[in-house]
Amino acid sequence: MKVPTRRPEEFLPLTPAMFHILLALADKERHGYHIMREVDERTNGNVKLGPGTLYGSIKRMMADGLIEELEERPDPELDDERRRYYRLTDFGFRVASAEAQRLEQMVRSARAKKLLPRTKAG
Amino acid sequence: MNKNLSTEAKYFVWIYSILLLAYPREFRREYGPEMVRLVLDCQRDTYTISARRRLWLRTFFDLVRTAPRERLNNLRQENKLMRKLHPNLVAIGGCVLLILAAMLLLNYGRSHQVPSILLFGHVLDAVVFTGVVGNVIVFLLVKLTRLRPLRVAFWTFLIVTLVPALALTLIAGADPKINAPRVVVGYVVSFMFWYGLHWLWSNKLKASETV
Repeated sequence: MKVPTRRPEEFLPLTPAMFHILLALADKERHGYHIMREVDERTNGNVKLGPGTLYGSIKRMMADGLIEELEERPDPELDDERRRYYRLTDFGFRVASAEAQRLEQMVRSARAKKLLPRTKAG
Repeated sequence: MNKNLSTEAKYFVWIYSILLLAYPREFRREYGPEMVRLVLDCQRDTYTISARRRLWLRTFFDLVRTAPRERLNNLRQENKLMRKLHPNLVAIGGCVLLILAAMLLLNYGRSHQVPSILLFGHVLDAVVFTGVVGNVIVFLLVKLTRLRPLRVAFWTFLIVTLVPALALTLIAGADPKINAPRVVVGYVVSFMFWYGLHWLWSNKLKASETV
C-alpha cells in the first residue's frame, strides 16, 4: 500500500464521485457494484456512478492511498470470487472526514446567508 | 456471459467490451473485466425496456466522458522527459511545416516564373510569408496565455522568423534581390510590430483583470 506523504487538506475539495465512494466505504468494504448501488440508494437515485467514473476514481484513490483492495477474496459459494473488494484506509478516512467538515462549514455559511432553512434544533 | 440475460442485453455487454478499447491498455487490463462485470450486474437489475435503455445511454455517455480523461491521465503519467519534449516537438514540427510551406512557395514562384509578389525576390517573399503566418499563429496561441510580451516577441522572432529565414537562405541560395540593410530594417520593423501587438494584448488582459 502506498504510504501517503500529504496532508488530508491537500486533497480537498474532493470530486463528488470520490466523496460518494469514500462515504460508501466508510462503514464496510464493498465491491464496485455494491459501491454503485449504495450511492444510488443513499442519494435516492440522484447520483448514478457509471463504470468509467467509478473505476477511474477507484484507480486514483488507490494511487493516493485513500482506499485499498482487500487481499482476501469472497467465498466462491457466496459471491463471485473474481470481484475485487475495496476498503477505506486510515488516511482515506481522514480525507473523507476533512471533506465532510469542509462541506459542513459551507452549509453553515449558506444557512447564515438564509439560503437554507434553519434546523429545528438551531 | 449470463444465460438469464436477453439477447439484446448480451449484445450490449458485448459492444461495451469492445468499446472499452477507448480506455488506455493499462486501465483496461486492471479494471476492464470488472467494468464488464458491473455492466452485467446493472443489466440484471433492470427489468423494463425503458430502464435498460436509460442504463445503456448512461453507460455510453460515461464512457465518452471518462475514456478521454483516462487517456489524458495516461499521457501525463508518461515519463517526465516525454512530457517536456511534447510541447517542444509540437513547436519544432510547426516550424518545419512553415519552412516547408515557404519552400513550396519559393519553388512554385521560380518554376512558374511568377514575378516576386512583394518585390523583394522569391526568397524574401517566402521569409515574409513564414514570418507573417508564423507570427499570426503564435499570436493566436499566446492570446489566451499570460506570457510576458517581450519574451514572447523575442522567441517568436528567433524561432518563427530568423530560423526559417536562415534555412531558406542556405537551402535556396543567394537571391540577387536580397538587400542586407533592407532585410535588417524589415526584421526590426517586424519585431517592433509583433512586440507592440503582444504588449497591447497583455495590457488589455491586465486591464480586464482589474475591472
